[in-house]
Amino acid sequence: MIYLIDHQDSFTYNLAHLLENFDDVYVSNYFKINNEKLRQSSLVVFSPGPGEPKDYPKSNSLYKKLKGKKKLLGICLGFQLILYNEKGIITPQKNIYHGFQSKIKVLNTSKLFKKNGYFIVGRYHSLKLNEPYHSKEIKITMRCMSSKVAMAVEDHKNKIFGFQFHPDSFLTHNGKQLIQKIISA
Amino acid sequence: MLNNREYLNRLFESDKPLIIYKDTNGYSVYTDLSDKIIIRKSNINNFIKKTLSSKKIKNKIFDGYIGFFGYEICCELIGVKIPRQRNNSFPKSIFYKPQTVIKMNNKIFIESTLPNFRYFKDLKKTNKKFYYKNNFNVNLSLRQYSNLFHQFSKKIRQGKTYQIKICQKYRNKSKIDSVKFFWKLMKANSSPESFLIRDKNYSIISCSPETLIEKNKDKIITKPIAGTLKKTSKTSLNKAKVFFKDNKKENKEHNMIVDMERNDLSRICRSGTVKIEKIKFVEEYKDLYHYVTKITGVLKKTTKIINIIKAMMPGGSVIGCPKINTLNLLNNLENDSRNIFTGSFGYIKSNGDLRFNIIIRSLLNYKDICEISVASGIILGSTAKKEYQENYIKAKSLLDIFKS
Repeated sequence: MIYLIDHQDSFTYNLAHLLENFDDVYVSNYFKINNEKLRQSSLVVFSPGPGEPKDYPKSNSLYKKLKGKKKLLGICLGFQLILYNEKGIITPQKNIYHGFQSKIKVLNTSKLFKKNGYFIVGRYHSLKLNEPYHSKEIKITMRCMSSKVAMAVEDHKNKIFGFQFHPDSFLTHNGKQLIQKIISA
Repeated sequence: MLNNREYLNRLFESDKPLIIYKDTNGYSVYTDLSDKIIIRKSNINNFIKKTLSSKKIKNKIFDGYIGFFGYEICCELIGVKIPRQRNNSFPKSIFYKPQTVIKMNNKIFIESTLPNFRYFKDLKKTNKKFYYKNNFNVNLSLRQYSNLFHQFSKKIRQGKTYQIKICQKYRNKSKIDSVKFFWKLMKANSSPESFLIRDKNYSIISCSPETLIEKNKDKIITKPIAGTLKKTSKTSLNKAKVFFKDNKKENKEHNMIVDMERNDLSRICRSGTVKIEKIKFVEEYKDLYHYVTKITGVLKKTTKIINIIKAMMPGGSVIGCPKINTLNLLNNLENDSRNIFTGSFGYIKSNGDLRFNIIIRSLLNYKDICEISVASGIILGSTAKKEYQENYIKAKSLLDIFKS
């Protein structure tokens, strides 16, 4: 089972349908976690949502609790939430990307995706990861080709993955393939 | 006995409660409203149950309830609170059961469950005194609007909302002949989801272009609009298509609404059935062009009518995104109750089929006040003055009927 933690976003159920291609999906609000379902899940997904990671103390402590024990995936806000808990700084960016389609490139650091390959993806974010960012375990694995903003991370030791963009958006090509790689990682 | 045309004219000139709703080929008029239900959060489930359990389909054209859900009840149903706002205690939601339906296409076709509907005594000319003033008060001055605009722009930069729409109201003192006003409006600007409700103590007129829900059996359709281009002597359908295609701002806004509506349908539809059937097409109206997408899905077997209402209302394209947080921001900063505005008008048939629009470009005449509501979106890169003006353009077609 996949547990999808909803931060009351208006895109969460697009993600739920995308994930349902691979397994049963259980969705709940971030403040109403079902521990039994959580225990049964092999993948826990932190959904997109408004605001920034520090607005969600419950999700932050859940992340810390699950790190290393379950495979984790963060999308948009969920991506930022991972980095925020791994000493990253989330800051406003000059240009705001809401409903924006970008070309992003896979870096040499990726173990999941073909190096130097690229994806067309949909973006909805006001904030970004402040760089330089260094972590022993988490590697930045994709970047926007024009703005260079970090778009994906992989941590194979703890099985933690994140996308700043939305694989669930209709603007994203091959969203299913992106999720497939996470499922089989 | 009155013939169809005479009957219809007498009906319009009377003050008998009636509803007019635009359909594909013309208009439907609903009258002899036998049951009127004021709906609250506490009785909505019973109301839906009652609608669906009405026994025999006596009326071939229409069997069910027709009416509106105001903005406030839509919020309440999804657990969004509204702090104290100025309001005129207008009901949050009212539905009616019509016994007579008149189809106005090229011909007039009447069907009624009442044997002698043409003879009713109440079909005499109204003796109400109609009047109206031409000057309108606006609830937000440009300064107040700018203030809200800047507060919301900041929220967008912080990622608290991705898009948000501020409502503005124009009010005057009046008691209008709503049927006359409605036909004047239809002549000037007949849009596919236009409607009128005339009851004893209020009337509502709207030239809404937007279909929120069209449900037939287990298939559901929504047609969000995001993007408007005003017609001028220089515009044409082809130029409008190019304008929308090349305009980054309009496309970004539209993309967001498409993903949000896909999401809302995905809450209630079977996995993998939510499809964009027709993307980013241009619809032409008398005064403007709209940028539209059609999204469809197949409902889950477990989805009930109330789930559909809660998933889809209030309609995302007129609120902003993400819905819950944006509603909370709006409700905390808007001082005036939205009343009907950005709620939904439509019907629930006894077989479970639905049609609902989004109430925009609307006028509510209640307690001798006319209230015209419009809204436009806060977009980074736009200016308060421009959006303030945009609101006036949207209100204009309704304001103009007071002058003609």
